[in-house]
Amino acid sequence: MMQPRLRPVLLAVLALGCGNDDPVGGTDTDPVVVVPDEPTAVPVQPLLRRLTSAQYAASVVTLLGPAADASVRLEPDVDELGFASVGAGVNAVSALGVERYEDAAAQIADRVVAEGALVDLLACEPTGPADRACADEAIDALGRRAYRRPLEADETAALGDLWQVLAEDHGTETAWRDLITTLLQSPWFLYRVELGDGAGQLTDHEWLTRTSFLLFAAPPDDAMLDRADAGELSDPKDRAAFVDELLDDPRLDAGVRAFVTEWWHLEELQALDKDPLIFGHAHPELGPAALEETLTVVSDIVLGDADFRDVLTTNRSYIDPRLAALYEVPAPALDGFGWTELPRSRPGVLGHASFLALHAHATRTSATDRGLFVRSTLLCQPIPAPPADIDTTIPEPNEDAPTLRDRLAVHLESPSCAGCHALTDPIGFAFEQFDGVGRWRTTEGGATIDPSGELDGTAFADAAELAGVLREEPILLPCWSTSLWHYATGRIEAPLATTDWMAEAWAAEGHALRPLLRELVLSDAFSAVEAP
Amino acid sequence: MNRFVPSRRGLLRGMLGGSAVFLGLPWLEARATCDTGFPKRFGMFTWGNGNLPDRWTPQGSGVDYTLSEQLMPLAAWQSRMTVCTGLEIKVPNTSPHWSGAVALLTGQELDGDDDSWTVRAPTIDEVIADAIGGDTLYRSVLVGVADAETFSYQGPNAPNFGETSPFALYERLFGSTFREPGKKGVVDPSLGRRRSVLDAVMGDLDRLSSRVSAADRVRLEAHSDAVRDLEQRLARLEEDPPDLAACERPSTPDEDYPDIDGRQQLSAKCRAFADLVAMSLACDQTRVFNISHHRPLSNVLFPGATDGHHNLTHNEGGEQPEVHDATLAVMEELAYLYEALDRIPEGDGSVLDHCMVLACSEISEGRTHRLDEVPFILAGGACGSIGMGRHVRSDGRENVNKAMFSVLTALDLPITSWGAEDTEVTGGWDQLEGA
Repeated sequence: MMQPRLRPVLLAVLALGCGNDDPVGGTDTDPVVVVPDEPTAVPVQPLLRRLTSAQYAASVVTLLGPAADASVRLEPDVDELGFASVGAGVNAVSALGVERYEDAAAQIADRVVAEGALVDLLACEPTGPADRACADEAIDALGRRAYRRPLEADETAALGDLWQVLAEDHGTETAWRDLITTLLQSPWFLYRVELGDGAGQLTDHEWLTRTSFLLFAAPPDDAMLDRADAGELSDPKDRAAFVDELLDDPRLDAGVRAFVTEWWHLEELQALDKDPLIFGHAHPELGPAALEETLTVVSDIVLGDADFRDVLTTNRSYIDPRLAALYEVPAPALDGFGWTELPRSRPGVLGHASFLALHAHATRTSATDRGLFVRSTLLCQPIPAPPADIDTTIPEPNEDAPTLRDRLAVHLESPSCAGCHALTDPIGFAFEQFDGVGRWRTTEGGATIDPSGELDGTAFADAAELAGVLREEPILLPCWSTSLWHYATGRIEAPLATTDWMAEAWAAEGHALRPLLRELVLSDAFSAVEAP
Repeated sequence: MNRFVPSRRGLLRGMLGGSAVFLGLPWLEARATCDTGFPKRFGMFTWGNGNLPDRWTPQGSGVDYTLSEQLMPLAAWQSRMTVCTGLEIKVPNTSPHWSGAVALLTGQELDGDDDSWTVRAPTIDEVIADAIGGDTLYRSVLVGVADAETFSYQGPNAPNFGETSPFALYERLFGSTFREPGKKGVVDPSLGRRRSVLDAVMGDLDRLSSRVSAADRVRLEAHSDAVRDLEQRLARLEEDPPDLAACERPSTPDEDYPDIDGRQQLSAKCRAFADLVAMSLACDQTRVFNISHHRPLSNVLFPGATDGHHNLTHNEGGEQPEVHDATLAVMEELAYLYEALDRIPEGDGSVLDHCMVLACSEISEGRTHRLDEVPFILAGGACGSIGMGRHVRSDGRENVNKAMFSVLTALDLPITSWGAEDTEVTGGWDQLEGA
């Protein structure tokens, strides 16, 4: 178990509310925070996680460089507990998935050859098939990046033999091309293999890989692997210093974006199904723009070490002319994105087109979907699906029931519906002032929309007030800590003692995410695996 | 109890026990052959969110029956298909859509709850592919028209996905590795290299497999099975293709089917897929196919619809005219599939005559997720294995597993039971099997 630590707050100036360019780093005069003691970690059985589609793409670029960045079609990810990263440890690959791995490997390797990028990848360029020492050197370097650990001698020999036979029959260039396809289809590349060190801990390389995918959404690069090879990650002090380096690395931005994208299912914004005949603002580029807005706002909060709960309440946003038109505010830049201040009525990401459009139907809003997201994703309060055998029809819009709140009254009157809908719909009604793509409105069917309600006993007047109430919900930090745990470890089980500790540590660090990530990757819980 | 295990797929399947219990006798693949010598094929055509049962069930029964409103798009095929009604999926309806889908296609209840579930056994297309799919390039060909999910499982936590792009399916089936029968084309020289690479991959999978947990080993085994299938396919591609009169390279589908008014081109895509699947049967590249028009719960926007399909089933009022139109649109695609299969001659008949095509959905009435009156249509009859041209109605909510048992035995699978526990059946549906 780790000792309690006393550390300066990473950033003491957040109260000034400055922009995102503030320097990070404390001084001796910073106040100290007391991070609580980590509970005893319970070692768990090692778990084989397949790379998600996003992790596969990042791994290809780390292995082969930007020239290999081909858009390939893989089998779709399968979510478990709402996370592709958890599903990656549960589901088996399909026959189509394996076929697509082969196809993708060929496309990527062909691209590397066609771009003339092959020679740059070889640590040593063999003079011919017989030049095995040189070939093995190149294979070791490529293999280490692919497998995220040094190759065993017999692995190098087997790959070297394959290369040599191919080189003799087809020439060295083809042999390298085929060697790349071999690495890209190896289970050591396709799965994040964690077997442990035999003494209850991840090996240094396994810890490095887990940390790198969490913080950078990518596998470790050569420089990081060098540190592990040299044993420079074994000592807790060295490891902590290394983590501080990673947390200051610009690649953290990609890691934050990947986490938030999975957590909130924002990838669905790439193909938003909206009826353009109903929503004039619906456009194939609306979803991607909304995605960029939300990810940039969240990343800015994290990299600025602001209170992470600001994601719910900040009015500062990053929009392009398309979003500016939707939000009816001046565009901050003529072309592309820029920072701006949105009206108070659009609270944080809950006022973004991303949330508002994703959690609505193709042709209209859905108070239930929006409420469901708040309950299940932001508060970790799962809501069961409606019973299978009930009639779920709600009335058509009519004079007596012009607004959705009027029509959904049936949900709240029927006892079999109200049990769940009383939890979701009143939250969703707060967002009824935004239509199915997130455009502001004050009336529906000629009647004024009433966005007021209460969240578990606390009244709110509108969406902005609701966001303020949510921000202070006691369950918020434990819930978000649990989500981060699932994402970081791929585990279905989330030990309550650990996630509660994460929440306390988070609060102790002024709710900034970066220090929490530091605590997490350096914790015993993060590294503990059962000895085989 | 002996189980028929035709490949190494045993591990994944054996973990929790499949639905099908096979006779312990060695089973000769030659059995799944029509008297004319053509192989029997199995096809599945599924769609999500059910139908409107009151407008689905035909009038009269036996051969003298009148098609219903919702089945009218199939009128030209009345003598070539048999409509089964009154069947029920006999499991607790704990998870809307998924309870029905899992039990319909695996014979038994899902494992888990609405938040997190999987199947307990492989789906029927996989069971059949294990029995009759071994000799062809592909054990089965899976297609997802609106969504990649085809509702096919190799076993627990092992979902299969369908090809969603007709062009990509064309490339796989009829691309550079395809050789037309009789034409002594050049064997693709890269095939041997690809096999060497896959050999190395198999070695890695085997070595890693011995070091991981039991649950992970099952997953790696599924991975190895698929790699082995791929290797075998590449080996077969080096041999001369079977000499089949009707087999020819089909025309190339469009590379892309862009949305129109925010809606997928469902019909154009589905028809392009049907043409490719039909030709892949004629070329004996596969004997099992699975076309998912759209998955259970799919909220796909049909052309002209004012809301997604799933939403409409729950929210559209009155007689649900838009839900009705969606069902008609799906039936039109089913009719086209029949046509595509029937267009290709085989012997004195057509490919369709040698197929058993099962069309079904996971529920009947979408609004209430009813599991009785589940839609179930057979076509082709697999060269007379089941009599076509009929409406077979159960007035006693017959267990749908009985009809599935009949389908499996029509394809000569030597099973003795289908389903598990309360849903298990040990024989087919008499009414369906009698002429």
